[in-house]
Amino acid sequence: MSWAQAILLARGLSRGWGGICRASFSQVPLQAAHGLHCSAATHTPGDSSLVPRPPKPPRRPIKALARHEELFRKAPDTARDKASFVQAVQDFARYSVHKRGHVDFIYLALRKMREYGVERDLAVYNLLLDIFPKEVFRPRSIFQAIFYHYPRQQECGIAVLEQMENHGVMPNKETEFLLIQIFGRKSYPMLKYVRMKLWFTRFRNINPFPLPRDLPQDPVDLARLALRHMEPDLSARVTVYQMPLPKDFKDAVDPTEPHIVGIQSPDQQAALACHDPARPVFVEGPFSLWLRDRCVYYHILRADPLPPEERKVEEIPEEWNLYYPMQLDLAYGRSGWDDYEFNINEVEEGPVFAICMAGAHDQATLAKWIHGLQETNPALARIPVVFRLAGSSGELLASSSGLEGSSPPPPEGQEEDDNQQRQQQGQS
Amino acid sequence: MQAARMTPNVGRQLLRLGGVSSRLTALPEQLRPGPAWRPYATGAAQESKSFAAGMFRGQLTTDQVFPYPSVLNEDQTQVLKELVGPVSRFFEEVNDPAKNDMLERVEETTMQGLRELGAFGLQVPSELGGVGLCNSQYARLVEIVGMHDLSVGIVLGAHQSIGFKGILLFGTKAQKEKYLPKLASGEVMAAFCLTEPSSGSDAASIRSSAVPSPCGKYYTLNGSKIWISNGGLADLFTVFAKTPVTDPATGAVKEKITAFVVERGFGGVTHGPPEKKMGIKASNTAEVYFDGVRVPSENVLGEVGGGFKVAMHILNNGRFGMAAAMAGTMKAIIAKAVDHAANRTQFGEKIHNFGLIQEKLARMAVLQYVTESMAYMVSANMDQGSMDFQMEAAISKVFGSEAAWKVTDECIQIMGGMGFMKEPGVERVLRDLRIFRIFEGTNDILRLFVALQGCMDKGKELSGLGNALKNPFGNASLLLGEASKQLRRRAGLGSGLSLSGIVHPELSRSGELVVQALEQFATVVEMKLIKHKKEIVNEQFVLQRLADSAIDLYAMAVVLSRASRSLSEGQPTAQHEKMLCDSWCIEAAARIRENMAALQSDPQQQELFRNFRSISKALIERGGVVTSNPLGV
Repeated sequence: MSWAQAILLARGLSRGWGGICRASFSQVPLQAAHGLHCSAATHTPGDSSLVPRPPKPPRRPIKALARHEELFRKAPDTARDKASFVQAVQDFARYSVHKRGHVDFIYLALRKMREYGVERDLAVYNLLLDIFPKEVFRPRSIFQAIFYHYPRQQECGIAVLEQMENHGVMPNKETEFLLIQIFGRKSYPMLKYVRMKLWFTRFRNINPFPLPRDLPQDPVDLARLALRHMEPDLSARVTVYQMPLPKDFKDAVDPTEPHIVGIQSPDQQAALACHDPARPVFVEGPFSLWLRDRCVYYHILRADPLPPEERKVEEIPEEWNLYYPMQLDLAYGRSGWDDYEFNINEVEEGPVFAICMAGAHDQATLAKWIHGLQETNPALARIPVVFRLAGSSGELLASSSGLEGSSPPPPEGQEEDDNQQRQQQGQS
Repeated sequence: MQAARMTPNVGRQLLRLGGVSSRLTALPEQLRPGPAWRPYATGAAQESKSFAAGMFRGQLTTDQVFPYPSVLNEDQTQVLKELVGPVSRFFEEVNDPAKNDMLERVEETTMQGLRELGAFGLQVPSELGGVGLCNSQYARLVEIVGMHDLSVGIVLGAHQSIGFKGILLFGTKAQKEKYLPKLASGEVMAAFCLTEPSSGSDAASIRSSAVPSPCGKYYTLNGSKIWISNGGLADLFTVFAKTPVTDPATGAVKEKITAFVVERGFGGVTHGPPEKKMGIKASNTAEVYFDGVRVPSENVLGEVGGGFKVAMHILNNGRFGMAAAMAGTMKAIIAKAVDHAANRTQFGEKIHNFGLIQEKLARMAVLQYVTESMAYMVSANMDQGSMDFQMEAAISKVFGSEAAWKVTDECIQIMGGMGFMKEPGVERVLRDLRIFRIFEGTNDILRLFVALQGCMDKGKELSGLGNALKNPFGNASLLLGEASKQLRRRAGLGSGLSLSGIVHPELSRSGELVVQALEQFATVVEMKLIKHKKEIVNEQFVLQRLADSAIDLYAMAVVLSRASRSLSEGQPTAQHEKMLCDSWCIEAAARIRENMAALQSDPQQQELFRNFRSISKALIERGGVVTSNPLGV
């Protein structure tokens, strides 16, 4: 037991020492600073700290990079797909028989994977690992095993595994076989591999709000998905108020007819029906929502919360039912984190009545949404609707007490562009 | 939004981990401010001794149930013996239920006879001219009445069980002395006036009003009451009306219910013609109108504004008699069925040799045994001075009225065409019985009462646990105890409850069934409470199932107790009682198991409830059946 501890301690020390040494030689591999728990971060995939680190130390030789870049730039006109990526990797293996600069190449290839759309392909990762020369980096003695044999290569191996982890790729037996061949059983990449094997299965379903791996491409389907994702009430109904015109349909009256998809739950509908027509409701947005790597925008229809003096407390009279209690005094003593009274539709910012996603964020489009909502919510016809869209010059664009009569003029096109520009800025 | 959804889950997990405790009420957080417990059942302040309330908490509160209580002392037994004979003889010889039913009133000779027997003041203290019976003795006599004529039972019950019970319970000395002697002798009849056209169990919608005079000497009572038993015969009414009450703290004037004792002689009291009814035709039911009746302020019953409490106490205290009457009815009906089964020959055999008939007779006997045991258990508990009998009384009323309906229905089935005829008199009993599932709180409403009252007790305990969680180190031992208890339950080790040593060894199997069913029941109650919290009030599908199981469970405990006593005392019928008890326990335990399993984990249950809702909604929208005829014509 104590022997094993000693080994571990020695390993940690050596790595720390190595880190210091390398730091003094102005080689700053980020991972070394992590010390013993270098790959312990696997425990929480999805954690923001696991965004792929800059895979390459900044001071790598530029010449080598250029040489390898060529492998990928060889045929700029060919499609960037798995075949060409594999071709590039094989080319490297062919041209560089001695595997010179293979670490640099692997780092480069890791960065290129996304462009070629192979970042989720296990076979490609195995192919990358296969570039490593076999048996060379295996520790031959216990001391080598303790003192971080071939650190740069091991780190590179870990980087491959980490990118797999970030994309949720589960290593297989082949990966294990390769790692054993390259680094041996007692190595850090192998440790990382074992941990991935352990935790991936456990964390596979940890997200209570799962998203499909491949998001739908159609904006309407994507909006549907996003709205369902936000709305906690399963009985809420998604309505497509307007389908986008097909791309090739040129001679339409209004060539830019964006999609409008909305969602409303029965509770929200009931709340809107009871809304006091003297108080306006607001269309607000756009707010952003990230679905994996896609950002979509939505608008909400909401009202201000009632001032406290107007809140009616629905009180159950004490002496109402002769036979059984109409109300239970279950005053659970709860602590602060346990708020059972919280109602998702009645937050302090005011009740939310509906959510929509539209292809355009201008008032004309949103007015169509409100128009569509009026069919299921007759009360809305009597309630003034105020548009408060971000990116416009003033807070209030226009108000319309009855949308039927006069459709508000659409905002200037430039303003709309402005709006989108700002959003893009916000995104980047 | 999503994060907000997750938070309650964490709390729920923790609460679940907490589990049940018998000691939680001893927590210091009891002083937590909050609305006062509503008085549907008294004794809410301290640990309830009620077995039924204990069931919801997962405890065996055996104080009131084991051993089967016997409360009558020798004198009381002697008095009862002296009464049972004459009363039975009176009903067999003088009263003619068929004739009463035909005449739609109780014959004058019968009424006179009842007055001479003192039947109108059975529970009035003897110094005020009554017989001065305790609840158990009263139940025994009501049972005899129930055996023979339910209409007469209603006349007597409406008079003394609810009519002037208010004076007995809440009356001042002067009120008692003024009214009780005349009431006890039967010279004056009483009626209980609560129901109004707009108000059944909804006390808030009572329209009758009593306005105090400026001088404060009298109230002017206006309003009308419907379906008042004895309404046409009574000269004294317990009336509930709204009076303006000033809140001493805020000075706001609120309309609150107040109970009054109203004499017909005050003037302005009139009544409508007797109602035409399905059953209990011989009893008088009429509308009663109060038109500017001047009621002196000394005739206020209880406190001004305290009428709600008065009404509830009267109803709660009157319920036990109904189970006793039903037990009697069943006894008589079973005798008729047995007589027929023993004498009717078909295919050369007496029909009691057929399995179908045997099963029917056996079930009838079981139901009667359970009802009888419950009736005397509840009345004995009340005589012992217990304040926690409301749930049991409600259970006995629900169970008794439904058991009697089943038994009478089966009796008619056994008798075949004969039962359908008027002559054997069973059809009259069936008609008379029907009202027992409706009045004094319909069985459905009483089911809600049973379930919600139980949940309330259980909920208090969970609240206590929540408080303990706030300060986990101060309450470490308590929480650890709870956690271990919960783990044991999860691991299927049981909670360590046992009835061994309490029930007779021969009944130990049934005892185990009771304990198992109780644990299962308590688990589900806790789960549902944690899931729905306060909203459980609106989950009536769930509440009904909980109440059904609570009733079955209480019935199991009651028969177990009674059969145990018989076995230990070596009574001649002990072995027979053991069979009755075991049969009931086997079937009831299976029902509870099934019900609880469905509530606990059946994914289809939710679908079922949704379907019920939607089907009923569709029916309402269509104003009747939705489907068209299969022939399409």
